[in-house]
Amino acid sequence: MFKPLSILLTATVILTSCSSEDDAGDINPVLEIPQDYTFNREGNSTVSFNGQTTRIKMSEEIVSSFTDFDNATEASIMAQFAHTAGNADFSDADLNASDKNVRSKVAASVDYYNTNAVESQAIKSTFDDYISKQVSEVFPNQNTLAVAGTAGQIADGTRTRYVSAQGLEYNQAFAKGLLGALMTDQILNNYLSVTVLDEGENRANNSAGITAEGSSYTTMEHKWDEAYGYLYGASQDPANPNATIGEDDKFLNEYIGRVNDDADFNTTAETIFEAFKTGRAAIVAADYMTRDAQAAIIRAEVSKVIAVRGIYYLQQAKTKIEDGNQTGAFHGLSEAYGFIYSLQFTRNPQTDAPYLSATEVTALLDQLMGDGANGFWDLTPETIDAVSESIASAFDFTVAQAASID
Amino acid sequence: MKKIHSVLTLVALVGFMSCTSDSSDDTGQGQTDQFDREAMLVNWADNIIIPSYEAFDAEAKALKAAADAFVATPDANTLNDLRTAWESAYFSFQNVEMFDIGKAEEVRFSYRLNTYPTNAAEITSSIESGNYDLALPSMVDAQGFPALDYLLFELGDSDSEVLDFYTTDANAENYKTYLSDLTASMADLTTTILADWKNSFRGSFVSNTSSSASGSVDKLANDYIFYYEKLLRAGKVGIPAGIFSNEVLPEKVEAYYKEDLSKDLLLEALTATQNFFNGKAFNKSGSGASFKAYLDYLNTIKNGSDLSGLINGQFDAAREQANALNDSFVVQIETNNDALLETYNELQRNTILMKIDMLQALDINVDYVDADGD
Repeated sequence: MFKPLSILLTATVILTSCSSEDDAGDINPVLEIPQDYTFNREGNSTVSFNGQTTRIKMSEEIVSSFTDFDNATEASIMAQFAHTAGNADFSDADLNASDKNVRSKVAASVDYYNTNAVESQAIKSTFDDYISKQVSEVFPNQNTLAVAGTAGQIADGTRTRYVSAQGLEYNQAFAKGLLGALMTDQILNNYLSVTVLDEGENRANNSAGITAEGSSYTTMEHKWDEAYGYLYGASQDPANPNATIGEDDKFLNEYIGRVNDDADFNTTAETIFEAFKTGRAAIVAADYMTRDAQAAIIRAEVSKVIAVRGIYYLQQAKTKIEDGNQTGAFHGLSEAYGFIYSLQFTRNPQTDAPYLSATEVTALLDQLMGDGANGFWDLTPETIDAVSESIASAFDFTVAQAASID
Repeated sequence: MKKIHSVLTLVALVGFMSCTSDSSDDTGQGQTDQFDREAMLVNWADNIIIPSYEAFDAEAKALKAAADAFVATPDANTLNDLRTAWESAYFSFQNVEMFDIGKAEEVRFSYRLNTYPTNAAEITSSIESGNYDLALPSMVDAQGFPALDYLLFELGDSDSEVLDFYTTDANAENYKTYLSDLTASMADLTTTILADWKNSFRGSFVSNTSSSASGSVDKLANDYIFYYEKLLRAGKVGIPAGIFSNEVLPEKVEAYYKEDLSKDLLLEALTATQNFFNGKAFNKSGSGASFKAYLDYLNTIKNGSDLSGLINGQFDAAREQANALNDSFVVQIETNNDALLETYNELQRNTILMKIDMLQALDINVDYVDADGD
């Protein structure tokens, strides 16, 4: 099951490193792929992705604020989401000083949203709505036991979850939606995009080793690293991130780790990391065909992570519903809701379109909420299976493979 | 959480592969053997579960009575009686916590009586405001035995300092009310569960002999192994010993404030789980149909290895390790955590034998997974 992937990877490298006739230049590029994600020019590191690390940290604080009942307000969470430099929106002074913010990068990739401002705006509004509804619907019912049609708290083992009248945890919808709308979209459809990597004189400058002004890296190198940063920017050792994969953020990093725990997908983390390294080495070697082949691998694998995890949560929730524990399913369903939402930001390298379109995603979410008047309270195992199958059919794995970690 | 996750996955794989060769006969949903499942369910219900609940019901009522006496006259004597009743009930509780089925599951009995570490801040703010609902999920870590542990042993260094909270403190009335409410809810929940077993649940439980995920054998087997794996192995030993974290977590031991009970509570729970495995009647001699009997029956017809002997041997090995530990796991962690880790290893070996080998032999699917912690 997994050998073919690495063979494919190796084959790609061999194949492209022999193709001296392409437009990569007149040298026959030899890739120097380092052990770690470490690249230098004249003794200085050329790897930089501070902005991505900052946005991951901001995202963590925003999500935490969703259940900060005593302190958060709609205005305070919105201010974190659309942060302005200098405002004391976060607990971390560095974040407050930053001129970055999360909201402006939601559904903001060049490839998907450059000429699609209406949809980009609608997606941003969806995230705004999660914030306002959390505060207006869930906060007042902090100490109310949720029942069908009424927001409040439910038990999930020793944990307490806070759900809408439909049983949805807005904080989960926000967080798992954000790993698509921010991280996945920026990586797959922006920084790994040929449009971005080759923008302006990027290719000529990179081939000539002309660095960006005041920096040790070429612009193209930096763009690639910014993609890398959205996955590994919070890692304990960003140069060797798979040592702690899954433990470093609550977004894509975490779920690459979780999916990699599944025996059916246990090469995922390595495949993604190797593709990032190989692609970056290819940029150093001005081997753009290899670069784009690695981008294709990353697109397929990251997209798959989102689909696998979405189905996993759906199937876990189904088991609980079948066991008579409807509310016990809500947490998993809320995570699944966000992962399904994120499918519209995935990218099939064969088509350069999402594996499931925004329209298809909306239909699946409506289906999930549509078994009765009260959303998850009325959701049946049959509907969960139907939605799971719809997702899996767009990919090359089965519901059964995603459903358990075996 | 991650470490154990991958270990379990690996183990599951290995176990699966090494066992597939001799299980060619049973793949369907129906029971393929002639073992008398109903007799096992009857033994479980009538000789173990209901008697255990009867004993604990008496303990919970005695605990409530001791709290009532203390609240009426808070002094060193009534405090001492209340502490004794708490300790005695806590031991008795180790015999029922594994039966998270029926009404117990519905009222979240295990969670409400024994979620630790307890939340001292939540307890204090609830007492100060006098405004709380113990049935709310968010209150789960502010009640039960661990909350009483805090209220009876941690409020002051001496008895008189503890007593001050129930006599001279500005919120003394609220402290007493909270103590009464906690013990009353524990007793009420227990009585409700026991009554349900006796009135109706026993009947549906023993007659539901289906060998499917909704059958009583499958469900209780899962509850039992969940308890063993998560609450006994991990909760009492693995988590405080730092198995699932980067450092040891002594503040997560059971009965943290009483300090010297953690080992004995573990031993009590270990004996209770082993007795259940063997179908041994609660508090009287004799035993009946059980996991052990079921495994022996299958092994007879399959000519397999003596898995029940391996499991009993592993229970004994874990007990032997645990016996050598300090009464207080906090002290144990500080002086020689390796000994606690060794105990964990012995417990973990039985997780594999029961969760993988036993459930596979009985053709029972695991119905729970590790949560991913967020």
